[in-house]
Amino acid sequence: MQIIKRERLIGVLSLLVAGWAIASCSPTSTNSTTSNNTAESPSAQSGSAEQVVLAIGGESEEGYDPTLGWGRYGAPLFQSTLLRRDENLNIVNDLATDYSISEDGKTWTVTIREDAVFSDGKPLTAADVAYTFNKAAESGGLTDVTQLENATAVDAKTVALTLKQPQSTFVNRLITLGIVPEHAHGEDYARNPIGSGPYKMVQWDEGQQLIVEANPDYYGDAPAIERLVFLFLEEDGAFAAAKSGQVQVAAVSQSLAVQQIEGMALRDVVSVDNRGLMFPYLPANSKKTADGDPIGNDVTADLAIRQAVNYAVDRQAMVDGILEGYGSPAYGPVSSLEWEETKANIEDAQPEKAKEILAEGGWIDSDSDGIVEKNGMKAEFTILYKADDSIRQALALSTAEMLKPIGIQANVEGKSWDNIEPLMHSNVVVFGWGSHDQTEMYNLYHSQAAQGDYYNAGYYADSAIDSTLDLAMGAPSEAEAVTYWKAAQWNGDKGVTAKGDAAWAWLVNLDHTYFVDECLDVGQLQVEPHGHGWPITANIAEWTWTCE
Amino acid sequence: MRVKSLLIAAMIFAAKKLLRLGLLLMAVAVFTFVLLSFSPIDPVKAYIGADMMQISPEQQALIAERWGLNQPMGERFLDWLGQLLQGNLGTSLVFNQPVSEVIASRFQASLQMLAIAWLLSGLLGLALGIIAGALQGRWPDRLIKLYAYTLASAPTFWVALLLLIIFAVSFKVAPICCAAPPGVLSQNVTFWQRLHHLLLPAAALSIIGIANIALHTRQKLIDILHSDYVLFARAQGESLWNIVRYHGFRNVLLPAITLQFASLSELFGGSVLVEQVFAYPGLGEATVQAALRSDIPLLVGIVFFSALFVYTGNTLADLAYPVIDPRIRLGDSST
Repeated sequence: MQIIKRERLIGVLSLLVAGWAIASCSPTSTNSTTSNNTAESPSAQSGSAEQVVLAIGGESEEGYDPTLGWGRYGAPLFQSTLLRRDENLNIVNDLATDYSISEDGKTWTVTIREDAVFSDGKPLTAADVAYTFNKAAESGGLTDVTQLENATAVDAKTVALTLKQPQSTFVNRLITLGIVPEHAHGEDYARNPIGSGPYKMVQWDEGQQLIVEANPDYYGDAPAIERLVFLFLEEDGAFAAAKSGQVQVAAVSQSLAVQQIEGMALRDVVSVDNRGLMFPYLPANSKKTADGDPIGNDVTADLAIRQAVNYAVDRQAMVDGILEGYGSPAYGPVSSLEWEETKANIEDAQPEKAKEILAEGGWIDSDSDGIVEKNGMKAEFTILYKADDSIRQALALSTAEMLKPIGIQANVEGKSWDNIEPLMHSNVVVFGWGSHDQTEMYNLYHSQAAQGDYYNAGYYADSAIDSTLDLAMGAPSEAEAVTYWKAAQWNGDKGVTAKGDAAWAWLVNLDHTYFVDECLDVGQLQVEPHGHGWPITANIAEWTWTCE
Repeated sequence: MRVKSLLIAAMIFAAKKLLRLGLLLMAVAVFTFVLLSFSPIDPVKAYIGADMMQISPEQQALIAERWGLNQPMGERFLDWLGQLLQGNLGTSLVFNQPVSEVIASRFQASLQMLAIAWLLSGLLGLALGIIAGALQGRWPDRLIKLYAYTLASAPTFWVALLLLIIFAVSFKVAPICCAAPPGVLSQNVTFWQRLHHLLLPAAALSIIGIANIALHTRQKLIDILHSDYVLFARAQGESLWNIVRYHGFRNVLLPAITLQFASLSELFGGSVLVEQVFAYPGLGEATVQAALRSDIPLLVGIVFFSALFVYTGNTLADLAYPVIDPRIRLGDSST
């Protein structure tokens, strides 16, 4: 997503105008959509239990095939999954009635319900589940099932998933991978999905809209909204459409969320969609990546610098100033999730304490130029951010501003990812991550993950942390892994967060803001992962229309 | 005898044209591949986007393998060429669909818009040019000149935005996005609704072409009106409009037609911008996506297609010359 950028100027200008245009359309023309009067603007839609229009982005250009990654955020809509996360992110059964993991953690045995049928009327069996997992493991899509050795159907309703290595995070594949029908999974499946989910596809106008209707064969509670229309507008267009009453749910940026829309309420959803500063951990010129890019930075390799940055920045001020209050301070990579170690949180916005840390670390302003030095080296580094992302820019700039009083000189530069990639192992970079899958934490901090790519870009390396992360990954279940995930953040003595090695300076979590029609009850929403928009659909089958 | 020699001339003409087309397409393909091999955009990373932390190196290898990206560029080009000889343009990375299908469905949306814009710009441009040329120096000429210079120097997207503001915002007579009203099944979308969504983008696109053709036609007509034979016709008492009709029209048609067919490439380029402004899902949008995500098969497919499109346009212009001016013959080196 972040790599796709368009003609910014044109985009912005056109949306601005589109905004005016829809905004000034009178919302009173709520006549039926089949009107063929060419003289009037397209009839505004008003929501009802029959139809709700959403402008939350999330078009999957390559279609709706779960074995290629469809459904990794929010609801797969057309398909259903073995397990799912409820509103508190607890793991609950969906297609599965039960599952168990073998002693060695390598074999997952799942029994499935017998009343599930695909929307073409054929029953969903263990063979379909096995097929889906095997297919996903070998297909080059956006779902990573490479840990799967093979999946076999033991009988009609039991499937055994055998892994190459025990992997506690494999449960996330059971949560996100929608089951496809073996008998109807051909080349055109992605454009004509058949599944056992709450909705089925009616029409997809690529680049414009997706129309879906409730699946009468769905085994769960029938969805209360009969028909959903997803409009693929950009954020400003979505806002304008909401303002004119044409859509009932619109994903908007934090800067637009401060506006008012009549008949709509703002839903401000907590997320783990974080932003933070990644520090190069090794000293400069320690080694090079396979592509020959430099690794390491002498300034940020010093623990005192990394900790001082963590203590000096005022995260709440960033939330208020940059995110209009729609966000929360981040002290680690997994805020608000069950595996967050809250003891790792620090009291920030303390320039005095930061100065002490610097002084203890040997950083002193000996030449009175306002910048501290150690052994003749100035405390100076460059913060890189993705140039067309205004939030990242503001975060980088305000960090630099907050570091000036403590004597650290941060130079801020915006570049495209292509230009940041060769520099990201030797400079501080503003990154944004956030997932329900703990694999991300493993990849952020494990020394083996650092391979000259986005994984552990700073080449953080600590053997004790490595073994804690390995224990978490090798734990037989998510519940048992949580202790280790927490310990890796901070165990009272050691950790990757600010009190420990301060490998990153996490800054903020973005709230995801949606305008939702006052008549639409979207229930209790999950803490959302990185990716604003589609995650709100996680519980879409439970949404209800409360007005007449 | 004469028919036979004409036939041979036509066949030589066609063969030459086809050969040139083949060479052109080949050059275009090689050029696109070479350019994209220098592109810093890694298609695998562009595809993964924000999911970078969830996709292991093993999975990245699977993705690269799925599209054959793990092979060197030279080999990919040869593979692609082999497929092309079997009539297969490859599969689009972005849309997970055969390139020919992507182009067909997207071009269908663009085609109607391009056709309307093309006709409008040709007819209006010619008419305005003739009026201005015939009435050189008088107020209609000045007005048309002002209009043409303003538009010729205005970027397409800016004109598109102006039209949006005027017709969609102020007068509310035009829709602001898409090719059909939201939430309506395609079988229920009426012809009028389609036309309604099409008209404004098409008008925006045509306006630029008008200026170009009008100014050239005007200049040509002025030259003609200052020629000796027109002086002679005037001396015989022929009226201005009859002179324009009998002496001017055929002569101004030539540059107008050349421009009109040559403008196909500009039209094609302009449609990329106009489609962005009006959120109209045509080929232009697909081009932007393909380039930003290093989708080589799709990009080459579109470049191929547009080269073919423009080349056909120019050939049609070549074919139209002898019809309008019999002094011009097919295969003449002067054409």
